[in-house]
Amino acid sequence: MYKHTGSRGSGAPGWVLQRITGILLVVVVIGHYFIMHADPASGHTYSAVLERMHHPFWKMFDLTFITVGLWHGLNGTWGIFRDYELKPAVSLTIYGIIILSGIAFWVLGVNTILSF
Amino acid sequence: MAYQPKPPEGWLKTNLKYTKQSGSWAWILHRITGLGLTAYIYLHIIALTSLTKGAKAFDDEMKLFTTPVFKVLEWLLFSLVIYHAFNGIRIVLVDWANGARYHKKILTVVYGLGIVLFIGMGFLMFREPITNMFASIR
Repeated sequence: MYKHTGSRGSGAPGWVLQRITGILLVVVVIGHYFIMHADPASGHTYSAVLERMHHPFWKMFDLTFITVGLWHGLNGTWGIFRDYELKPAVSLTIYGIIILSGIAFWVLGVNTILSF
Repeated sequence: MAYQPKPPEGWLKTNLKYTKQSGSWAWILHRITGLGLTAYIYLHIIALTSLTKGAKAFDDEMKLFTTPVFKVLEWLLFSLVIYHAFNGIRIVLVDWANGARYHKKILTVVYGLGIVLFIGMGFLMFREPITNMFASIR
Protein backbone atom coordinates (compact mmCIF):
# COMPACT_ATOMS: atom_id res chain seq x y z
CA MET A 1 0.00 0.00 0.00
CA TYR A 2 2.74 2.44 0.98
CA LYS A 3 4.48 2.22 -2.33
CA HIS A 4 6.25 5.57 -2.31
CA THR A 5 8.15 7.29 0.44
CA GLY A 6 6.28 10.30 1.61
CA SER A 7 2.94 9.15 0.33
CA ARG A 8 2.03 7.65 3.68
CA GLY A 9 0.46 10.74 5.20
CA SER A 10 -2.09 13.00 3.58
CA GLY A 11 0.44 15.83 3.54
CA ALA A 12 -2.15 18.17 5.03
CA PRO A 13 -0.07 19.51 7.97
CA GLY A 14 2.78 20.34 5.60
CA TRP A 15 0.33 21.99 3.20
CA VAL A 16 -1.14 24.24 5.89
CA LEU A 17 2.27 25.07 7.37
CA GLN A 18 3.61 25.88 3.89
CA ARG A 19 0.96 28.59 3.60
CA ILE A 20 1.41 29.92 7.13
CA THR A 21 5.22 30.10 6.86
CA GLY A 22 4.77 31.58 3.38
CA ILE A 23 2.63 34.46 4.69
CA LEU A 24 5.24 35.10 7.41
CA LEU A 25 8.07 35.01 4.86
CA VAL A 26 6.38 37.52 2.53
CA VAL A 27 6.74 40.10 5.30
CA VAL A 28 10.14 38.97 6.59
CA VAL A 29 11.92 38.48 3.26
CA ILE A 30 10.68 41.66 1.62
CA GLY A 31 11.49 43.56 4.83
CA HIS A 32 14.94 41.99 4.91
CA TYR A 33 15.52 42.88 1.27
CA PHE A 34 14.57 46.52 1.76
CA ILE A 35 16.68 46.85 4.91
CA MET A 36 19.76 44.86 3.89
CA HIS A 37 19.90 44.75 0.09
CA ALA A 38 18.21 47.93 -1.15
CA ASP A 39 20.08 50.49 0.89
CA PRO A 40 23.81 50.65 0.02
CA ALA A 41 24.41 52.54 3.29
CA SER A 42 22.78 49.90 5.52
CA GLY A 43 26.14 48.80 6.84
CA HIS A 44 27.84 45.72 5.48
CA THR A 45 31.15 46.22 7.26
CA TYR A 46 32.21 43.71 9.89
CA SER A 47 31.73 46.16 12.76
CA ALA A 48 28.29 47.27 11.57
CA VAL A 49 27.13 43.66 11.22
CA LEU A 50 28.52 42.74 14.65
CA GLU A 51 26.67 45.62 16.26
CA ARG A 52 23.43 44.31 14.77
CA MET A 53 24.24 40.72 15.67
CA HIS A 54 24.69 41.63 19.35
CA HIS A 55 21.17 42.98 19.46
CA PRO A 56 18.69 40.36 20.78
CA PHE A 57 15.98 41.51 18.37
CA TRP A 58 18.07 40.90 15.25
CA LYS A 59 19.31 37.63 16.70
CA MET A 60 15.72 36.42 17.09
CA PHE A 61 14.85 37.85 13.68
CA ASP A 62 17.70 35.94 12.02
CA LEU A 63 17.00 32.69 13.90
CA THR A 64 13.32 32.84 12.89
CA PHE A 65 14.25 33.74 9.33
CA ILE A 66 16.71 30.88 8.91
CA THR A 67 14.40 28.28 10.49
CA VAL A 68 11.20 29.27 8.73
CA GLY A 69 12.96 30.03 5.43
CA LEU A 70 14.80 26.72 5.26
CA TRP A 71 11.73 24.74 6.27
CA HIS A 72 9.53 26.47 3.69
CA GLY A 73 12.11 26.04 0.94
CA LEU A 74 12.82 22.40 1.65
CA ASN A 75 9.20 21.44 2.24
CA GLY A 76 8.44 23.07 -1.10
CA THR A 77 11.28 21.20 -2.80
CA TRP A 78 10.04 17.91 -1.38
CA GLY A 79 6.54 18.85 -2.52
CA ILE A 80 7.81 19.16 -6.09
CA PHE A 81 9.43 15.70 -5.97
CA ARG A 82 6.25 14.26 -4.44
CA ASP A 83 4.40 15.24 -7.60
CA TYR A 84 6.36 12.73 -9.65
CA GLU A 85 6.28 9.00 -9.56
CA LEU A 86 9.75 8.16 -8.31
CA LYS A 87 11.17 4.76 -7.50
CA PRO A 88 11.18 4.20 -3.72
CA ALA A 89 14.99 4.15 -3.58
CA VAL A 90 15.27 7.43 -5.52
CA SER A 91 12.56 9.00 -3.41
CA LEU A 92 14.23 7.93 -0.18
CA THR A 93 17.60 9.25 -1.37
CA ILE A 94 16.16 12.65 -2.27
CA TYR A 95 14.27 12.79 1.03
CA GLY A 96 17.49 11.93 2.89
CA ILE A 97 19.47 14.61 1.06
CA ILE A 98 16.79 17.21 1.81
CA ILE A 99 16.58 16.34 5.54
CA LEU A 100 20.34 15.96 6.12
CA SER A 101 21.43 19.02 4.15
CA GLY A 102 18.63 21.02 5.75
CA ILE A 103 19.81 20.12 9.26
CA ALA A 104 23.47 20.71 8.33
CA PHE A 105 22.82 24.16 6.88
CA TRP A 106 20.51 25.09 9.74
CA VAL A 107 23.27 24.22 12.23
CA LEU A 108 25.80 26.17 10.14
CA GLY A 109 23.59 29.26 10.07
CA VAL A 110 22.56 29.07 13.72
CA ASN A 111 26.22 28.66 14.66
CA THR A 112 27.04 31.87 12.79
CA ILE A 113 24.22 33.78 14.48
CA LEU A 114 24.94 32.50 17.99
CA SER A 115 28.71 32.97 17.91
CA PHE A 116 28.29 36.65 18.82
CA MET B 1 -5.01 4.78 -4.69
CA ALA B 2 -4.67 2.86 -7.91
CA TYR B 3 -1.24 2.63 -9.46
CA GLN B 4 -1.15 4.92 -12.48
CA PRO B 5 0.84 3.54 -15.39
CA LYS B 6 3.46 5.90 -16.78
CA PRO B 7 2.46 7.62 -20.03
CA PRO B 8 4.22 5.90 -22.98
CA GLU B 9 6.23 8.96 -24.02
CA GLY B 10 7.54 9.93 -20.56
CA TRP B 11 6.51 12.70 -18.21
CA LEU B 12 8.51 15.50 -19.84
CA LYS B 13 6.79 15.12 -23.20
CA THR B 14 3.41 14.75 -21.52
CA ASN B 15 3.99 17.92 -19.52
CA LEU B 16 5.14 19.86 -22.57
CA LYS B 17 2.04 18.76 -24.48
CA TYR B 18 -0.41 20.18 -21.95
CA THR B 19 -2.25 23.29 -23.04
CA LYS B 20 -0.91 25.97 -20.75
CA GLN B 21 -2.98 28.96 -19.70
CA SER B 22 -1.74 31.82 -17.56
CA GLY B 23 -2.25 29.78 -14.37
CA SER B 24 -0.03 26.95 -15.61
CA TRP B 25 2.79 29.38 -16.30
CA ALA B 26 2.27 30.93 -12.87
CA TRP B 27 2.58 27.44 -11.36
CA ILE B 28 5.74 26.62 -13.35
CA LEU B 29 7.34 29.97 -12.47
CA HIS B 30 6.45 29.49 -8.80
CA ARG B 31 8.33 26.19 -8.74
CA ILE B 32 11.40 27.49 -10.58
CA THR B 33 11.64 30.63 -8.43
CA GLY B 34 11.09 28.52 -5.29
CA LEU B 35 13.94 26.16 -6.17
CA GLY B 36 16.13 29.14 -7.01
CA LEU B 37 15.42 30.85 -3.71
CA THR B 38 16.08 27.65 -1.74
CA ALA B 39 19.44 27.29 -3.48
CA TYR B 40 20.13 30.93 -2.66
CA ILE B 41 19.43 30.42 1.09
CA TYR B 42 22.10 27.71 1.09
CA LEU B 43 24.59 30.05 -0.62
CA HIS B 44 23.62 32.87 1.73
CA ILE B 45 24.30 30.69 4.81
CA ILE B 46 27.69 29.53 3.47
CA ALA B 47 28.70 33.09 2.52
CA LEU B 48 27.92 34.51 5.96
CA THR B 49 29.92 31.86 7.84
CA SER B 50 32.89 34.16 7.11
CA LEU B 51 31.55 36.31 9.98
CA THR B 52 33.02 33.75 12.38
CA LYS B 53 36.44 34.04 10.70
CA GLY B 54 37.10 37.60 11.78
CA ALA B 55 36.90 41.11 10.36
CA LYS B 56 39.35 40.75 7.47
CA ALA B 57 37.78 37.61 6.03
CA PHE B 58 34.32 39.16 6.15
CA ASP B 59 35.25 42.57 4.76
CA ASP B 60 37.25 40.98 1.92
CA GLU B 61 34.23 38.90 1.00
CA MET B 62 31.94 41.92 1.12
CA LYS B 63 34.26 43.73 -1.29
CA LEU B 64 33.50 41.00 -3.82
CA PHE B 65 29.76 41.11 -3.14
CA THR B 66 29.56 44.86 -3.66
CA THR B 67 31.13 44.75 -7.15
CA PRO B 68 28.75 45.82 -9.96
CA VAL B 69 28.28 42.26 -11.24
CA PHE B 70 27.11 41.02 -7.84
CA LYS B 71 24.91 44.09 -7.33
CA VAL B 72 23.12 43.34 -10.60
CA LEU B 73 22.73 39.68 -9.61
CA GLU B 74 21.33 40.85 -6.28
CA TRP B 75 18.83 43.01 -8.14
CA LEU B 76 17.82 40.12 -10.42
CA LEU B 77 17.37 37.95 -7.33
CA PHE B 78 14.73 40.42 -6.18
CA SER B 79 12.58 39.44 -9.17
CA LEU B 80 12.48 35.86 -7.84
CA VAL B 81 11.64 37.12 -4.34
CA ILE B 82 8.88 39.44 -5.49
CA TYR B 83 7.29 36.98 -7.89
CA HIS B 84 7.36 34.09 -5.43
CA ALA B 85 5.98 36.31 -2.63
CA PHE B 86 3.13 37.81 -4.67
CA ASN B 87 2.18 34.59 -6.42
CA GLY B 88 2.32 32.93 -2.99
CA ILE B 89 -0.28 35.40 -1.73
CA ARG B 90 -2.32 34.55 -4.82
CA ILE B 91 -2.11 30.83 -3.98
CA VAL B 92 -3.28 31.47 -0.41
CA LEU B 93 -6.20 33.53 -1.74
CA VAL B 94 -7.14 30.76 -4.17
CA ASP B 95 -7.01 28.16 -1.38
CA TRP B 96 -8.57 30.11 1.46
CA ALA B 97 -10.45 33.10 0.10
CA ASN B 98 -12.43 31.83 -2.88
CA GLY B 99 -9.68 33.13 -5.14
CA ALA B 100 -10.46 30.60 -7.87
CA ARG B 101 -13.16 33.05 -8.95
CA TYR B 102 -10.75 35.93 -9.48
CA HIS B 103 -7.27 34.34 -9.73
CA LYS B 104 -6.58 35.72 -13.23
CA LYS B 105 -7.18 39.26 -12.01
CA ILE B 106 -4.77 38.70 -9.11
CA LEU B 107 -2.20 37.36 -11.56
CA THR B 108 -2.35 40.63 -13.49
CA VAL B 109 -1.72 42.48 -10.22
CA VAL B 110 1.13 40.06 -9.38
CA TYR B 111 2.93 40.77 -12.66
CA GLY B 112 2.10 44.49 -12.71
CA LEU B 113 3.06 45.31 -9.13
CA GLY B 114 6.03 42.96 -9.40
CA ILE B 115 7.50 44.82 -12.38
CA VAL B 116 6.90 48.20 -10.69
CA LEU B 117 8.59 47.07 -7.45
CA PHE B 118 11.46 45.44 -9.38
CA ILE B 119 12.20 48.70 -11.19
CA GLY B 120 11.77 50.63 -7.93
CA MET B 121 14.27 48.34 -6.21
CA GLY B 122 16.67 48.99 -9.10
CA PHE B 123 16.46 52.74 -8.44
CA LEU B 124 17.03 52.21 -4.71
CA MET B 125 20.02 49.94 -5.23
CA PHE B 126 21.69 51.95 -7.99
CA ARG B 127 20.75 55.40 -6.74
CA GLU B 128 24.36 56.53 -6.57
CA PRO B 129 25.60 55.41 -10.04
CA ILE B 130 22.37 56.67 -11.64
CA THR B 131 22.71 60.10 -10.02
CA ASN B 132 26.37 60.26 -11.01
CA MET B 133 25.52 59.32 -14.59
CA PHE B 134 22.99 62.15 -14.91
CA ALA B 135 25.34 64.56 -13.16
CA SER B 136 28.05 63.84 -15.72
CA ILE B 137 25.64 64.38 -18.63
CA ARG B 138 24.70 67.81 -17.33
